Amino acid sequence: MQDKLIVIVNDMCKDNGLPPLKRLDADQHLRDDLNMDSLMLAELTVRVESEFGVDIFEDGLVETMGDVIRKIEGHQGP
Amino acid sequence: MKNLFLASKGHQYTYEELFRDVGSRKMACSRIFVKGNHPYQIFAAIVHSLWLDYPVELLDGDFSDEELKRMGIQASDLQPALLDGLPEHPPSHEEVTARLHPKNWTLSLYTSGTTGRPKKVTHRYESLTRQVKTGSQWKDHVWGFAYNPTHMAGLQVFFQAFCNKNPMIYVFNEEQKRLPDLIEPYQITHLSATATYYRNIFPRLQSKTYPCVRRITFGGEGFDDRLSEKMKQVFPHAQIRNVYASTEAGSVFAGNGRTFTIPSSIKDLVKINENQELLIHQSLVGTMENAEVGSEWLNTGDVVQKVGADEFAFVSRNSDFINVGGYRVNPLEVEAVLTAVPGVADALVKGKKNSVTGNLLTADIVKEADAEEDEVKKAVREHASRTLQPWKVPRILAFVEDIPKTRTGKKVRE
Repeated sequence: MQDKLIVIVNDMCKDNGLPPLKRLDADQHLRDDLNMDSLMLAELTVRVESEFGVDIFEDGLVETMGDVIRKIEGHQGP
Repeated sequence: MKNLFLASKGHQYTYEELFRDVGSRKMACSRIFVKGNHPYQIFAAIVHSLWLDYPVELLDGDFSDEELKRMGIQASDLQPALLDGLPEHPPSHEEVTARLHPKNWTLSLYTSGTTGRPKKVTHRYESLTRQVKTGSQWKDHVWGFAYNPTHMAGLQVFFQAFCNKNPMIYVFNEEQKRLPDLIEPYQITHLSATATYYRNIFPRLQSKTYPCVRRITFGGEGFDDRLSEKMKQVFPHAQIRNVYASTEAGSVFAGNGRTFTIPSSIKDLVKINENQELLIHQSLVGTMENAEVGSEWLNTGDVVQKVGADEFAFVSRNSDFINVGGYRVNPLEVEAVLTAVPGVADALVKGKKNSVTGNLLTADIVKEADAEEDEVKKAVREHASRTLQPWKVPRILAFVEDIPKTRTGKKVRE
């Protein structure tokens, strides 16, 4: 799952002229560390939803990459 | 061919044949429903109704049984009935056109493109042909017929051609690709179509010029400057016009290029409200089924911009606007930017729902045959980011073979 997620994030980084990530880190803050603005967060939501079928921002409580991973894992089950 | 009425799908019909056929019909139906929308069958039925002066309802041959049922139309309603007391001789063109202020004749259409049950609108002859011009100046025109014949824009072309006894060359739907091969043999002088139509056909036209075409009219969708420039290259002698027509009001305005002129005769019957929507007075509109009592003005749902005392420009359909994080985005504006990128043949911009910004823009792109996907994608992103405000940049791009159209030939936006 994380492999697919890093592809999505790096595709977006490339499109937005940001350097690609070498690995996903649960502590990475989406806004502060990855410099995502609301449009990039919207894009991430749409891309994650089409890949994993879960709306990670449904409750609006997503700050870090760890939150994203937990939402996807929570949706997919243990 | 002398006296040609219609060329369609490899067949040619003269005006004589049309009137002979119409005169020989012993049956008629007040609902015109032709599966596949064969233009000759539709036009002949309209001419028959005009000749014998009875009201007709024009149904799109693409309506499914399910849609007809929802409109309350049964199969038995579409059966023709035997006529009696018919005139002995077939009509002549003069006879039909001389009667063109019919007493009983009306034509009903159904509004398209909106959700829910289509609404019936009934027009009298005068309102339907408000913009039709006749006389020696219009006598030698040859029309490329590039609309669905059961919709308002198609009817406008039909009446303009028919009243002047002009030939029509059918180039809609599957016949569209034949346009480049038909313009010269038939010496087509006038072509009216949607911007989407021109965009689609342009790659097939661009290697040549067609000096016989004298007028190119855009109807039904927003005007596209860049496309208009392309059309001028292919049709060097053509004047570019723009018409505003709707199922409810018929053809109301015409203009050169981007702007429409409000004729002084209807100046007081048109206004723009505080939301920049165009309102048309009830007296210019056909009779609507279930019309709100007392509503004096029809809100067209079209957002326009006033550019002079009696001129306006079309901005977008109100319902086409997409809200991205609180910003209202006009998809037509974004599409115009995308189609300016080399390698892009056409584009459809849509809103993708999400919990962060409400909508995010996505674009379906039709690339030109010899363009590379990766290069086009990169060029589109760069050009869009440079040219548009961030919320107007489509974030997700998908390549598609073609863009679905409504029955009128406009892009499907939902």
